[in-house]
Amino acid sequence: MGAEPTGAPEALSVERAGRRRTRTALRPVVLSEAAFAWLLVVPAVLGILLVVVFPLVYSLWMSFTEVNLLRATGPAIELFGVRLPLFRYVGLENYARTFADPVYWSSLWRTLYFVAAFVLEATLVGLGMALVLHERFAGRPLMRSLLLVPWSLSRVVVGLLWIGLLDFEFGALNGVLHRVGLIDGYIAFFKDGFRALNVLVSVYMWNQAPFATLLFLAGMQSIPEELYLAAAVDGAGYWRRLRHITLPALRPILFLILVLSTVNGFLMLDLIYVLTMGGPGQDTTTISWLGFQTAFSFFKFGPGTAILYTLTALCLLLTFAYHWLVLRRFEAEA
Amino acid sequence: MGGSIVGERGLARRVLVYGLVGAVTLWLVGPFVWLFVTSVSHQKHLLVRPFSPVPPEITFDNYRMIFGLVRFHAEGQAAKILPSMLNTLIVAVVVTVLNLVVGTTAGYAYARFRFPFKGVSLYALLFTRMLPTIVLIPAFFLMFRTLGLQNSLTGLTIAYCAFTLPFTIWIMKAYFETIPAELDRSALVDGCNRLQAYYRVILPVSGPGLVAGGAFTFMLCWNEFLVAQVLNTKPGTTTLPPVIAAMNAQINIDYSVIAASGFLGALPAVILVLVFQRYLVQGLTAGSVKG
Repeated sequence: MGAEPTGAPEALSVERAGRRRTRTALRPVVLSEAAFAWLLVVPAVLGILLVVVFPLVYSLWMSFTEVNLLRATGPAIELFGVRLPLFRYVGLENYARTFADPVYWSSLWRTLYFVAAFVLEATLVGLGMALVLHERFAGRPLMRSLLLVPWSLSRVVVGLLWIGLLDFEFGALNGVLHRVGLIDGYIAFFKDGFRALNVLVSVYMWNQAPFATLLFLAGMQSIPEELYLAAAVDGAGYWRRLRHITLPALRPILFLILVLSTVNGFLMLDLIYVLTMGGPGQDTTTISWLGFQTAFSFFKFGPGTAILYTLTALCLLLTFAYHWLVLRRFEAEA
Repeated sequence: MGGSIVGERGLARRVLVYGLVGAVTLWLVGPFVWLFVTSVSHQKHLLVRPFSPVPPEITFDNYRMIFGLVRFHAEGQAAKILPSMLNTLIVAVVVTVLNLVVGTTAGYAYARFRFPFKGVSLYALLFTRMLPTIVLIPAFFLMFRTLGLQNSLTGLTIAYCAFTLPFTIWIMKAYFETIPAELDRSALVDGCNRLQAYYRVILPVSGPGLVAGGAFTFMLCWNEFLVAQVLNTKPGTTTLPPVIAAMNAQINIDYSVIAASGFLGALPAVILVLVFQRYLVQGLTAGSVKG
């Protein structure tokens, strides 16, 4: 079983990703392998074409049209008796109007602040928790389970749970701070715009940082023990080992976490819905909230999809960065 | 021991570590525990100051109202919780099953074989994982309107597959890559054809990967809010998160009632994740998924 199965040429053609074999003599087998692989992939690919790629293109098209939801006359795609309206083409008008709108730009700067603050908080808290949970202590497996609690909650529940902590009247945090004498009057966490934005950052961080911790822990476990032993022999203390061994080894994972949390920061939407609805005023309106509101509160699909597509473009740029990282990791493994 | 503080023994360091662990625990589960505490409290006790972390009186009336056993001010909203939970369960289970069937086979192909357009389709897969899902919703809105799938669980199922399938393929691909290809090879030597090698030999040893992919998909569907909120607006057709969000938006409903609904709604996903935590962590760190 373990020996090279010379009698069955097709057995050779099974290969692990990344490892390449020379097999000039097995040309027809390679073809049938590809056909088999396609058979396995086709349902998923068809599904994704139908429910991801097509809607994606259709939304993109909408961003170049004037969408009238009430009167869907005019040109349309007709397939199997289903009629999808194409609306009136207006070129770049939606984008021009979006870029001329000062609200768009103020939302963009706010989004950038939100993303920067979120990435910083999630990475630092995620790393901090990973360093603590990497220590030896009784009940470590249990702690690793509990780590996933904030992450496994619906953002609706995350939102209302933090309302329970931060509410002006019945919030537990105000109650605790007041009782131990740290504050005289209660804090209105959602009244001041900038404070509300920062609360959103932290609540989202509470929800997402555990995932960063998970990745950091996985990275820490793969660092060879000998490095620490050697460093200990050399008399390196905790901080020096952290700086010279742990952190450098975590660099690829750190980069992955930075990219993932940047994308997640740009896309965050549901917490805004539950906690602030973009307010007070426009003070917590990010690009994704602006696009969502334009499309689904005011039912302006044209401008709404245009706004959302500027966001998509940003995410696309980040995807290239992400893919570059993944490619580099594959090459490192091969 | 690793990069540990407690490497050099000493009581002070030990105390420090346990103190930090306590702080992390409080941070992670404190808010969720408090949600439960408020859900078994009377609203009037939540407002009492000075603040007390232990409620003076425990009541399960909020839960009993959700189950229709008692009636008070929020009974109309509370009555929607269980039916919407059932909707959520149906959608989540169907999407999970579809994902496991379709996504697993695709993941296997990506992990094992070379075929035309493999690189391109992998790129495309990565790309769809990075999309703001909200950008698809206007298209779904119009498509489902023409197809009559608005306010239906079928429509929601289709939409959720769009968001979950790329994840599942990715997780399963990463998992299959950890299974030695020798296993496939020996199955082929033993006279299996390729399909048999897949479902007779590889699938039976893929339990942990399937659990990871399945649990993650279920969790995403169970927790999803925006899509359901936008696509299924007719009463009775939507899932749990929009119902809870609607309660939260109503000024005249006691917070303790909302807390009970939220806690009850969160419980299935939390339990699922805790039970399958080990597999999930394995699958997610291997697939490096965005959460």
